[in-house]
Amino acid sequence: MRLPRPAPTLATLLLAAILAACATPPPADDPEAVADFKQTNDPLEPTNRVLYAINNGIDEVILRPIAVGYHYAVPEVVRTHVHNVLDNLNNPVVLANDMMQGKPRRAGDTLVRLLVNSTVGVGGVFDVATGMGYPEHDADFGETMALWGVPEGPFLYLPILGPSDPRDATGYGVDVALSPFTWLGSGQTVANLQYVQYGMTVVDTRESLLTDLDKVKEQALDPYATFRSLYRQHRHAQIQKVRDDNRATPPAWYPDTPASH
Amino acid sequence: MPTRRTLLLSSLALAVPAAFAGIAPAWALAPAQATQFIDQTARELIAVIDAGAPVAQKRAQLQQIIDRAVAVDQVARFCLGRHWRSATPQQQQQYVQLFHRVLLNSITGHLGDYKGITYSLGRAVPGDGGMQVPSVMNRPGQPPANLTWVVSDEAGSAKIVDVVAEGTSLRLTQRSDYDSYLNRNGGNVQALITAMQRQASG
Repeated sequence: MRLPRPAPTLATLLLAAILAACATPPPADDPEAVADFKQTNDPLEPTNRVLYAINNGIDEVILRPIAVGYHYAVPEVVRTHVHNVLDNLNNPVVLANDMMQGKPRRAGDTLVRLLVNSTVGVGGVFDVATGMGYPEHDADFGETMALWGVPEGPFLYLPILGPSDPRDATGYGVDVALSPFTWLGSGQTVANLQYVQYGMTVVDTRESLLTDLDKVKEQALDPYATFRSLYRQHRHAQIQKVRDDNRATPPAWYPDTPASH
Repeated sequence: MPTRRTLLLSSLALAVPAAFAGIAPAWALAPAQATQFIDQTARELIAVIDAGAPVAQKRAQLQQIIDRAVAVDQVARFCLGRHWRSATPQQQQQYVQLFHRVLLNSITGHLGDYKGITYSLGRAVPGDGGMQVPSVMNRPGQPPANLTWVVSDEAGSAKIVDVVAEGTSLRLTQRSDYDSYLNRNGGNVQALITAMQRQASG
């Protein structure tokens, strides 16, 4: 994804963030504090906090107002259709990841979703596949690398993208490269459509998080630490879910199907 | 209002004890008991939330249910982590009292969000910290949410010790929030208490 060139002020802030000192570990004579520090695994915390503050500012003046406007101005039905279209456009990437994760049933689900929703679902506007027993699921290359045994690394807070880690940040780049739309011609129209897709994905995601993010910011004493904890836990749970999805490959009607669990 | 619940309680009550009969129980609480406890508590909560009573009355009723069904004292202690021991007994007491109020505030502050909620419960399984009771919450106009209730009877009777929403544990998240706040305030528990007092009165 080609991001717009950051404004000079933003660049200066980013530089300040990168130059900010590393987190100071607690004294070695406090083993519990040291254990907590290691568990938190956020050696770049001062830098991350600056980036969090910048992102939060951008969110408050731009993203959140857009998401709120979208929520109130666009009826829920339309928002659902928009979400379906975005989901369908992302399905090639999900399919590639399902396959690389070695999860044939998940890949099958995604393939059926892509085929059914693109045709019967009129270009992805209607999510027909869910009703047929092929519900939506997400897959990304960060998750794929996790299943391959790549460690997540320290916590990172990225401009625009938000909470992450080296594995997920790399994964995001790979997912963009995996998207067929990245390679579909090079005309201005294609590029513009891609901006619309990424832009709408941001608005759709932000809208779905409106209450949750507001609640965290309102209730947490340290929202940054809370988001860090939530992001990690959520990712671990997502990865575990994929890891545990070992449904048998032969369909139920196939003779001599080994007992599925 | 009628609840669209696809509760498998009756089949659970038969199937689960049979499945676990051969295993020496590491948990005193049976899976069916945990599920039934959550079902009962959820029903009580929903009855209060969906009723037309004034907010102050709802708040008092919710407090009663929470104090009975949630192991608030234990959760509060868990959330303070290693800082519990560096607090004076008076601070500990003050902190636990504030924790009760902040928890209640965070629930009553969003009563509107929970209106018209329906749920279905899944099969309970033993896990970290107690019996895990999975549930799906359906709110009008919102996508369904997966919540897992962690029930333990360590405190004497069955009580909720954690809620795991889409893979994120409420008490772990709270603990990292407090821990980070304390670390940034030189580990001073009094600073946390002051911040919580602001939250409790706000």
